[in-house]
Amino acid sequence: MPLDLDPSILGQEFDRAEYGPVTAEELIAFARALGETDPRYTAAGPDLVGHPTFCVRYKGKKFYPENLPKNINVRSGFDAGKDLELGVPVRPGDTITVRSTAHEIYEKTGRTGSMYFVVIRFTMTNQRGETLAVVDNRFMHR
Amino acid sequence: MPARIRFETVEEGDELPARDLLLEKDQVRAYARAANQWSARFTDDDGARKEGLPGMITPGNMTMGLLATLVEAWAGAGTLRRIGTTFRGLVLPGRVVKLCGTVTQRVESDRTVEVDVWLETDEGERAVIGTATVKFD
Repeated sequence: MPLDLDPSILGQEFDRAEYGPVTAEELIAFARALGETDPRYTAAGPDLVGHPTFCVRYKGKKFYPENLPKNINVRSGFDAGKDLELGVPVRPGDTITVRSTAHEIYEKTGRTGSMYFVVIRFTMTNQRGETLAVVDNRFMHR
Repeated sequence: MPARIRFETVEEGDELPARDLLLEKDQVRAYARAANQWSARFTDDDGARKEGLPGMITPGNMTMGLLATLVEAWAGAGTLRRIGTTFRGLVLPGRVVKLCGTVTQRVESDRTVEVDVWLETDEGERAVIGTATVKFD
């Protein structure tokens, strides 16, 4: 079934959430769980920064905008992938603002029928307004 | 921290040192806790089976993090600029996975390198594939 998409929802911010302040313990626990040993990510002190993928632990409070096409069954789906563009590193004491937009919505047809992909973009900034990361989350629904 | 290799020595086709990793269930749980992804599917076999899964699975975000760590172990901490991954299959803890990468492009003008990365299961399936951009000083 073709997507009944209102293109005006693309690029519109539908959620804004704030987190933090980030602690050194959180940064270190995250890095160590990945087996990371580099002191840049694991040693408490003035040089400590977050692992490059630390930001993916944050997301918006609202999962999707309200006016998604009705043929997308949001109750059934899975995480199909992620694209992460890095800005400045996360540091202890940072507060993180996550702005959510619907970046892309498209359909693909496979052997088993239609699949719908929803890409939600999280733009993450710190308290100085610097970009920490832009994360595109790709979810697949049938 | 200086890069572990120099841009001048990188060539297209270079392989990153592959890493075999026994993905312990406790490590996956530690990640789920640290990444704010604590849910049955990532922490508990019985809970995951109730969701129709074969047992607890590894979060896709964790596999991306492992691949990011692989790239920076090669190029140096702080060199990763971008990583994109596609989660194609389930990655089950308690098994050995192989983390791999290959240089696909070397861009002289901005001293960046493009890398293909992937995670291979013990059955040889590329369950996670992706690309990464590394920037050298």
